[in-house]
Amino acid sequence: MNFKFNIKRALSIAKKEQFHIMRDPFTLTMATVLPVLLVLIFGLAIEFNVKDIGLTVHDSDRTFSSRKLVEVFSSSQYFNINPSRGSIVDAINDLDSERSKASLIIEPEFEHNLLAHGNTKAQFVLDGADNSTAGVILGYLGGIQKAANFKLTGTLVKEPIELKTRYLFNPELSSPWFIVPGLAVVVIAILSILLTALTVAREWENGSMELLLSTPVQPLEIIIGKLIPYTVIGLAAVLLVVLVAILGFGIPFAGNFILFGFGSLIFLIACLAQGMLISVLIRTQQLAMQIAMITGLLPSLLMSGFIFPLESMPKYPQNFTSILPSKWFMIISRGIFLKGADFSDLKLPFIGLFLLSAILIITATKKFKKDLEP
Amino acid sequence: MTNIPVNAVDVSNLTVKFGDFIAVNNISFSVEKGEIFGFLGSNGAGKTTTIRVLCGLLLPTSGKVKVSDVTYDQGIEAIKAKVGYMSQKFTLYNDLSIQENFAFTASLRKIPSDTLKRRTKELLSFIGFSKPMNTLVRDLPGGIKQQVSLAASILHDPEIIFLDEPTAGVTPVARARFWALIKQLAKDGKTIFVTTHYMDEAEQCGRIALMRTGEIIALDAPENLKKTTFPDPIIELNPKGTIPSEMIEQLRTNKAVDSIDSYGMKYHLIIKDPQEWNQLSINIAPYFVIRQIPPSLEDVFIRLVEGVTR
Repeated sequence: MNFKFNIKRALSIAKKEQFHIMRDPFTLTMATVLPVLLVLIFGLAIEFNVKDIGLTVHDSDRTFSSRKLVEVFSSSQYFNINPSRGSIVDAINDLDSERSKASLIIEPEFEHNLLAHGNTKAQFVLDGADNSTAGVILGYLGGIQKAANFKLTGTLVKEPIELKTRYLFNPELSSPWFIVPGLAVVVIAILSILLTALTVAREWENGSMELLLSTPVQPLEIIIGKLIPYTVIGLAAVLLVVLVAILGFGIPFAGNFILFGFGSLIFLIACLAQGMLISVLIRTQQLAMQIAMITGLLPSLLMSGFIFPLESMPKYPQNFTSILPSKWFMIISRGIFLKGADFSDLKLPFIGLFLLSAILIITATKKFKKDLEP
Repeated sequence: MTNIPVNAVDVSNLTVKFGDFIAVNNISFSVEKGEIFGFLGSNGAGKTTTIRVLCGLLLPTSGKVKVSDVTYDQGIEAIKAKVGYMSQKFTLYNDLSIQENFAFTASLRKIPSDTLKRRTKELLSFIGFSKPMNTLVRDLPGGIKQQVSLAASILHDPEIIFLDEPTAGVTPVARARFWALIKQLAKDGKTIFVTTHYMDEAEQCGRIALMRTGEIIALDAPENLKKTTFPDPIIELNPKGTIPSEMIEQLRTNKAVDSIDSYGMKYHLIIKDPQEWNQLSINIAPYFVIRQIPPSLEDVFIRLVEGVTR
């Protein structure tokens, strides 16, 4: 393998690529509009804290205590009370018909038991088909139960062990705080893989690859030269995302900007190199674009921990995510953004990211065909 | 001054295979310095493959190649530095200006900027280009694009210029203009290696090689090819009216006739037995205007390349 490298030739490739970018409205539009659009969509539309949950209440007791219990639910701002339309069966049917996500069934003896035995029961039925909502509701129940105890008995029940929870880094568990820093990862991944996937394929399609190959230019020079301008675009896109996060969503940037920039840079290079590899292997732009979408968008959305926690994955796919640059940068991005982590906290992800980008660049260079064999 | 003839290109026993497919099958030839050497053959005959090997764009499967005193042993880059290559595809960047395209090519070949300036000026006046240098390539008409592409491929002043179907898809006027440029380059001492589909272009080459399915089946000056292929005169038959196809078939099987092929509305006939032909020509005189014509390169091509498969 020939790794002769001449920086001047790489720079003239970069300069030429810059002309292409500046004269192609598609590239520039995508580079600026896509990040902003994604931040707005994800930042505004995605909310993990489920609110306005339909709750059918079947109150057979109809006493002061049972009404108090219902009041706790209705005043929690999480639930919308749907009065029962008759029997207990109807209350359960409401889950089938999607009228409600949960049903609260209060038996006739509710208040009596409370007053007589100091202990009473109500049944809470959850729609398990939608398990992400069910999980969230379950999380609310603990708090609601406590509030109900206080309201019904007037005293805080002393439990032998009490766990007090405090959320660090995101005290209100605000979804945009969680989503937007992760979005930096998704934006870079999609943008850079898409942009670069087309560039080498385009040279093949236009015939200009024959011109390149008839000169002494080396594959590594072409790869590096093409990476440079897209790195600049990518960094600008990251900056855009960070600015929108801070100014638009009021998310505090806890860490070091330089370290974040450095992490973004390595991640960018890894993604660009991945796009370049696709482009080198696939000689038509259309196919390269489709493969870039699948390998760029899907893993960074689904397998990076962006929305779905990696810890909940089975062992094998979880290990697999380690070869995805987006997984490592997700850790870096959230760590620096929200927790203010420094380099010593993030050594492993940084090393992983660095190794992956080196491997991708070397593979792309090696796979670069220097001859015109059909 | 002693004039030792040094060949610009020496190819011996070159074979190129793509998997099981043999694109070029054991060909040998030489091209002299300053020659216009034509490669003639139908699509898939192996012309482009041969050119790509000679430009260092494709590694030969076996055989020896020497281009401008450089062999493959000295590295592919050494060959690339010696030759200029103009692909049959249009290889300049449409969204870059002429200036930018030239500067880009020059920088990849490490041509110093003052040399680039001088060469650009020379070449643009050579091709008679008068538009501003910052014109985008996409705004140029096809014929001009072709000429600019030629200029870009010889920026580094190579000794040998490989042109792979350089005039495909341009107007006849632009083709004539392009060939004037090729001849001028040859006059200036450059070796030109050109592939073409056009017979009139092949006529203008010093020597031509005819390729068929990866082999060179004939190689000589156009005039010699005509003489050796057609020692006997060619008879042109111009039908006076509608001729039934059976009559042509009868002629084909006639003792006097070696072969008969249609050329548009006319037929070209080659005589096998002159005495028999004298009789036959009188017999068919009512149906055809008969005249003796010199063979064209197209006759040669059809006889050699397509005749073999018949």
